[in-house]
Amino acid sequence: MDKELIQQIRDKARNLLKEGTVEGVIGYERASDDLTSRPLFAYSPSDTERLIFDETCAHNLVKYLLDKKGKKIAVVVKPCDSRAINLLLNEGQIERDNVFIIGVGCPGMVETNWNHKSETLQAKCRTCQLFKPVVYDFLAGGEIERQAEEETYSDITEEEAKSVATRREFWLEQFGRCIRCYACRQVCPGCYCPVCFAERLDPLWVGIRIAPEENDMWQTIRSFHLAGRCIGCNECERVCPVDIPLSLLNRKLEKDVKELFAFQAGLDPEEAPPFATFKKEEVMEFEK
Amino acid sequence: MGPESPFTPYLATLKTATQLTPDIKLLSVELEDPDIKAGFDYKPGQFALLSAFGEGEAPFGIVSLPLQKDGLEFAVRRIGTVTRALQELEPGDTLGVRGPFGNYFPLEDYVGKNMIVIGGGIGMAPLRPVINSILEQRDDYKELLIINGARTPQDLVFQPEFPTWMEAPGTKLELTVDRGDEEWKGRVALVPDVVKELAPSPGNAIAIVCGPPIMIRFTLARLRDLGYKDNQIVTTLEAKMKCGLGKCARCNIGEKYVCQDGPVFNLEQISQFLEQP
Amino acid sequence: MNLFASKDDVIRWLGELLKEHVVIAPVRVQEQTTFQPISQVEDVVFDFNNTALSPKGWFLPPTETLFSVQRDDGKVELVPTKVERDAVIFGLHPCDARGIALMDSPFLQEPSDALYRERRSRTALIGLACRQAQPECFCTSMGSAPDDPSNVDILLTEGEDGYIVQAVTEKGKALLPKGLAEYKGKVPAPPKLEAVPTKEVVSAMRELFNDPYWEQVADRCLHCNICAYVCPTCYCFDMRDYADKGKVERVRSWESCQSPGFSLTAGGYDPRTTKGERLRQRFCHKLLYFPEQFQDVACVGCGRCVRDCPVNIDIREVISNLKQVTEAKSGS
Repeated sequence: MDKELIQQIRDKARNLLKEGTVEGVIGYERASDDLTSRPLFAYSPSDTERLIFDETCAHNLVKYLLDKKGKKIAVVVKPCDSRAINLLLNEGQIERDNVFIIGVGCPGMVETNWNHKSETLQAKCRTCQLFKPVVYDFLAGGEIERQAEEETYSDITEEEAKSVATRREFWLEQFGRCIRCYACRQVCPGCYCPVCFAERLDPLWVGIRIAPEENDMWQTIRSFHLAGRCIGCNECERVCPVDIPLSLLNRKLEKDVKELFAFQAGLDPEEAPPFATFKKEEVMEFEK
Repeated sequence: MGPESPFTPYLATLKTATQLTPDIKLLSVELEDPDIKAGFDYKPGQFALLSAFGEGEAPFGIVSLPLQKDGLEFAVRRIGTVTRALQELEPGDTLGVRGPFGNYFPLEDYVGKNMIVIGGGIGMAPLRPVINSILEQRDDYKELLIINGARTPQDLVFQPEFPTWMEAPGTKLELTVDRGDEEWKGRVALVPDVVKELAPSPGNAIAIVCGPPIMIRFTLARLRDLGYKDNQIVTTLEAKMKCGLGKCARCNIGEKYVCQDGPVFNLEQISQFLEQP
Repeated sequence: MNLFASKDDVIRWLGELLKEHVVIAPVRVQEQTTFQPISQVEDVVFDFNNTALSPKGWFLPPTETLFSVQRDDGKVELVPTKVERDAVIFGLHPCDARGIALMDSPFLQEPSDALYRERRSRTALIGLACRQAQPECFCTSMGSAPDDPSNVDILLTEGEDGYIVQAVTEKGKALLPKGLAEYKGKVPAPPKLEAVPTKEVVSAMRELFNDPYWEQVADRCLHCNICAYVCPTCYCFDMRDYADKGKVERVRSWESCQSPGFSLTAGGYDPRTTKGERLRQRFCHKLLYFPEQFQDVACVGCGRCVRDCPVNIDIREVISNLKQVTEAKSGS
């Protein structure tokens, strides 16, 4: 644990609350296992003593800003999380003036489960190229020097080389385990439809069965709704209770969008995701 | 033969479907099995789950009188996929019925009392069998005041019965709409305001209220202003009911399962619930 | 009288059972252990921490057809799903067995749930005592114990070189293999667990119903369904019809009080709109409504929700907090 970094976060949070700049600060505290971490909502200066930051603080806290619309809130964000802020700003879901961003340089997050902390960095952190938040009001701990350890899309390229039948078989098996708990949706900062298509009855998009066909439908539409919008925090995969490798889907779409539109979500609050805009020069081949 | 599983509905045939308002139809339904039909006992306020096979099941108050065995009646307002499918059924089509479920209005406790029945929109549905039961045993009750409100004159339900209600002895029917039209000569006022204006005395009275939540809230306040005690005000609660058996754990308001303990409660009972509806 | 079976005996026995029964047992799937109907005894895992999902799914499946609608010449017939075969669940830990016993209360209460009742009466439970506890385990605070035989038909306890076999019910006795020798040795002591202060929890829940505590805890809740779906006693369900290629069925699937729209009526009324109200509903059902209806708290201390909650809403901590808040309120 970087004590100085934590002190900076606590000091900032305490002052923001004391001065009344914000109503609350969303950060991290130690979890009940005394080993990993969990989100903390600090509303009084004394609460800020519980704030921590270390390599177990995987949660993307930006999601919670959607619950606090219209309130002045400070939030601790890692570089990948910060892209969610730009996404939500671009999509008009949050107001910049209402959010105070306490950015942190990121040492990379390790794989954790309750009461388990691995030495291994999460896969997303092994390929991460972003070590400083893309947007912040205060940067705690200063900038971090790191190198990406792996090529970003090596696993995706590997998947792409497989036959359609092989991939289909793989995904049906994976989705066969899905229990439709919707943790992937609930944790995702890009999933905020007032009524999710999965709950919509009229028209009915996907039935209530927890079965391969419906799960397939659910997961396919979920990932497509995030094409060009997924900011790569990989929270969906982390929270999945049946370990479905959702990042393979999300990053395949991310890679395609990057190649087709030279776009990555959340890097610039002014630039809308490709499927939310239309540019004249984007003439599709079938129109030629 | 009864259904083996409490989730298997009784089969029934749609006898008639009458358009009551632009979005409400009165469905008259006959249970297919003669034994089940003969044994289907219910009281005003109880509900049943109707199935439109292929769409699903939804709860509806039974609006006919218990004596009417060959035609169970339900007022179905088009509000979602199941109600739309039910409204699209043609006479002769098969549908499913599970029930009767829940408690009922304790009309026997109200013998000798002045009755004020206040309904808004489709909220008149569970009140219709209350009114008709009182009229069946007219001498058992004192004055009957019916206040029936709707958004527009077209939306007033059970219009064919209005003449009977108006002409019944000791009975008054007061109609009101939120928005009139060229032909409407009656009241244009909100139900709570009509309650305030008519100011029915709380002495020896019971008020039964049913309608949209906002109407209920303000009507209850007006009744309390008039001096009604909580045990003199009775209402039915709305909740998401799926199984009707207290098993699917959806319709609870605090510790009460609306499908089993309700839907009929007086305000005194409701005020003691842990969770307030 | 206790009997003794070597591991080979148990494997042979399971092979025999598999001839006449559906055998549901813990198996490895990817990195997880989970209960599944097995096709071969070799797949069974004997040494495992609590499985990813509890075995409740055998009695209340994630999805099942309640009946199908058959139309013949305009005539409608409803054909209820039938339970085809007898079954054995092998390897339930005592907490999971208690979970099934608790689910019996709502599902067997008249009018009983036909499919649940049928599966329950045609399924034997062979329990496996826990020789090790996990840090998230707290079954002893929730009316059970690592060696609790009370909700199974047969309980196996791993001893030296094999299993000590205890037939608990007549159903269990009838299922035992022949020729097992009597076991006269000691039964190994169960692991000790940390206690959770559950004593006054029901009254504390009632007292703190309107306490701001719920909104505070719910701040970090994601309102996913993980806790409910991994829980051995959460039993909310949804029912809808499926009409596909002329086939019409009424389907029941798991559902959770944390879902958006769970309590929203077709007319647009929802008694629970805030995060705190929704989260409180889950704890109230477990720790207040269920015990008031059926005596017992609807938690067995298996620790799955503690282990799997993405934001560490830890029911043990909630129970302890309730105690603290109540004490602080009463000034003691």
